[in-house]
Amino acid sequence: MLSAMAFADTLRVLNTMKAEGVVEEYAIAGAMAIVFWTEPVPTFDLDVLVELHPSAGALVSLDRVYRWAESRGYPAEEEHVVIEGLPTQFLPAPDPLAREAISSAVKVDYEGVVVPVVRPEYLIGLYLHPGARTAKRRERAAMLMELPTLDRQLVDEILRRHGLSF
Amino acid sequence: MDSPSERSAEGSTSDALLEKLREGKSALHRRHSELALPEKVRLVMELQRIVLPLIARRRPLRSWERPWEIEP
Repeated sequence: MLSAMAFADTLRVLNTMKAEGVVEEYAIAGAMAIVFWTEPVPTFDLDVLVELHPSAGALVSLDRVYRWAESRGYPAEEEHVVIEGLPTQFLPAPDPLAREAISSAVKVDYEGVVVPVVRPEYLIGLYLHPGARTAKRRERAAMLMELPTLDRQLVDEILRRHGLSF
Repeated sequence: MDSPSERSAEGSTSDALLEKLREGKSALHRRHSELALPEKVRLVMELQRIVLPLIARRRPLRSWERPWEIEP
């Protein structure tokens, strides 16, 4: 029997984190963002790209996120926080590409919960980032390139501006 | 031994079959893409149950790699 936890509950918690200032901005990224735009792909976690409030002179740290999660009873498992039954990985936006991906994210309604989801054009850019490039990621970028609604001009522009290629 | 015309007929049958399979696969991808979001999440959860044993055969699983016990 399934528990009472639901996918929408996790998304609601992300919005609470933003409302309470735990993160400045966020957007769903990774495989679950692909699921929003195209077809289901196997994944075991929810990737969340986050912009954090700058703390005085400190390196970007997810400490505040983990402390908040702990105070709400959401356990950490390796680099994930299990929010309402869903292993969730918070990824601080490391560069202008990731920050643009967050600021240009599209608001999507999931069962009454509105969440920002990274646009497919930016997902392609993120997947092709040299620091994160793997065969699986290149495959996923190629999969997104098949999307009939993809703005190819925007993809070209993102790749050119950020020095990326297939 | 097959005559050239028999081999050619066989070749076009396999080409037609491959084309049919490709079309079927594309149609399935299209149908999956058009599903409602909760239905897609339900399929992700089904995929998790299918791929988990395959991953486990290749490498040790991470602690968070498990099927989600949630409502889509």
